[in-house]
Amino acid sequence: MHLLYVEDERKIASFVNAGLKEHGFIVDYCNNGDEGCARAMDNVYDVILLDIMVPGKDGLSILKTLRQSRRNTPVILLTARNELDDRLEGLNLGADDYLAKPFFVEELVARIHAVMRRSDVDHHNILGQGPLKLDCMLRKVIYQDHEVELTTREFNLLEYLMRSPGRVFTRTQILEHVWGYDFNPSTNVVDVCIQRLRKKLDPTGAPSWIESVRGVGYRFRMAEGEW
Amino acid sequence: MRLRSFRVRIALLSVLLTGSALIGFGVMSGLLLYNAKISRLDEIMKIQLLRTARAQQRERWLTYEDLLPHIFGVDADTPIAFIVQDTAGDVLYQSQQWPSALNLFSLWLPSPQIPSKPSPSPSPPSSLPQQNQRAKVLLPKSHLVTWQTPSATWRVGAATFSRSRVAIAISLKAIDSEMMAIRSIFLLSIITVLLIIAVATWGLSGRALRPIRHLTQVIQQVTIEGLDRRVPVGGADLEFAALIQVFNQMLENLERSFHNASRFSADAAHELKTPLAILQGELEYALHKADPGSSLQQHLGSLLDEVRRLSSIVRKLLLLSLADAGRMNLHRVRINVSELLVQMLEDIELLDPTLTVDAHIEPDRYILGDRDLLIQALHNLISNAVKYNLPNGWIELSVQHENDKVIVTVANASNTIMPNDRDRLFDRFHRGDPARTRDIEGTGLGLSLAREIVRAHHGDLTLAPETSGQVEMKLSLPSQS
Repeated sequence: MHLLYVEDERKIASFVNAGLKEHGFIVDYCNNGDEGCARAMDNVYDVILLDIMVPGKDGLSILKTLRQSRRNTPVILLTARNELDDRLEGLNLGADDYLAKPFFVEELVARIHAVMRRSDVDHHNILGQGPLKLDCMLRKVIYQDHEVELTTREFNLLEYLMRSPGRVFTRTQILEHVWGYDFNPSTNVVDVCIQRLRKKLDPTGAPSWIESVRGVGYRFRMAEGEW
Repeated sequence: MRLRSFRVRIALLSVLLTGSALIGFGVMSGLLLYNAKISRLDEIMKIQLLRTARAQQRERWLTYEDLLPHIFGVDADTPIAFIVQDTAGDVLYQSQQWPSALNLFSLWLPSPQIPSKPSPSPSPPSSLPQQNQRAKVLLPKSHLVTWQTPSATWRVGAATFSRSRVAIAISLKAIDSEMMAIRSIFLLSIITVLLIIAVATWGLSGRALRPIRHLTQVIQQVTIEGLDRRVPVGGADLEFAALIQVFNQMLENLERSFHNASRFSADAAHELKTPLAILQGELEYALHKADPGSSLQQHLGSLLDEVRRLSSIVRKLLLLSLADAGRMNLHRVRINVSELLVQMLEDIELLDPTLTVDAHIEPDRYILGDRDLLIQALHNLISNAVKYNLPNGWIELSVQHENDKVIVTVANASNTIMPNDRDRLFDRFHRGDPARTRDIEGTGLGLSLAREIVRAHHGDLTLAPETSGQVEMKLSLPSQS
């Protein structure tokens, strides 16, 4: 998947780039608005990530130019500026999503998948790990050919972990993605939810798909050859 | 009782002052007028008494009596009577109208010095001129007095002559009724004048107070959003222009320091964001690179949590400073509040499975609002209800439609909140009784932010009146049907 990422803060760009590449995205990065705009107009991307405050043409103007020339590439706006005003304007101009700095790269990845799913570019609508299949469009979970009933939160949690198998997520990251950014980080809501999820997926008590990483959080176990 | 209205006081005071001045003036002039009328009567009376000095025949007296009203210049209905006696006390003539109640003896009594000499007799040897002599002899003899009889008031003049004693009595009825008429006219006009004065001062003081009323209106409109309002000095009177200038100056200072304060927190929040983003991103990256389950990864994890908490505080401060500056712009969409709360019900169970949850959620109650912000406000209410609950406590949730408003109530079992805590519940960084909340995490920003969010949506968030053993938050938002 091909992304365009426009960001002037070098340090932020470096870890976002690294994170995105790890997730298998091909990232086209530039650090100023004029170049970003030119690239966005010349090439075809799956998703464009725009920082609003960049030198040259700012993110909102790039978005405007794109939409005026009828390019409907999904756009996610990133900013540290007065976020409410920007979000408002960005959404009015036709941005598909909005992420305020500071954000987790994992969260950005989840949002990229979400907007791609919406624009039907994502070919990974069905996530699969061994006998576990997640249909993100129909929001259905099939485990060993049986449908498993999950609540909204449980489904979102499972999807989030399954998107990056083997990757460790802290409770805070999970909280922020599944429950929204303002949940009290010291609650045990994540642990309770994970326990329920485990029970629903592995009623037999077999080694769980969701592993606890001591002192850090959780991760989704990669399927091994035996499946 | 003290009158609170300046206008009423001014009007009353001026009425009181003018009223007492007018009444004083009226009483004085009434007295003078009465005295003038009496002295005119007296003058005529004296002349008439002199005329009666010569004894006359009875027929002449009769004619004379008929003439008297004409002489006194009163109408014929006014009772006028006279009596003539000789020196021995025999009545020579007495009018029919003579009031028998009059005490004749006291009338003539004060004339002991009157000699039996006939008045027209040749004047005694004296060096005094003739005129003075007459006056000296004749005038003291006449005696004028006002008498009150049961039926009327009379002015009585009495004189003693050498051969007769005469008394003329004229009823004061006419003068009294004239005075009465004057008095009522006077009273009527005083009342009219006072009324006019009252109305005029009321109006005038209203006009005088108009700049103050205007100022009051403007001050009322000065809220956080209206700090840029100024009172136009325009054609204001000199006395008020100074006040208005001072007031405007004060507003300007207020506006400037307020904007400085809110811009400071907005700027600070913004400047904090970029380093936080870098810190958070690098930590996240390092966390994933570290060996799973290693102690390094654990440390990075807890660092990441702290950074995240810091970001959350910064974000809330920024939102609050935006709300203070009245710039909390909302991306309004149609939101199904009922659905949101049903979703959050699941969280309550996850957060604390020991709680009993009682929900009365009317389906499909819509409002127009900013989804992210409203979710944040509702989250805050619910997580507070869980955090500050009692062990094995309960939570009651309801969503209702009431008079074009969607009302969300969140009640929970709780220790009774101290009254001064109740007042400060919505204050920033307020965290209630430390003895009870020490173990509960939070920044003390959530509730005040929730209220700002709700207010930006033209709704309100209030703490329901105290009921022992429970806390109830009531959130109301304009409904969108």
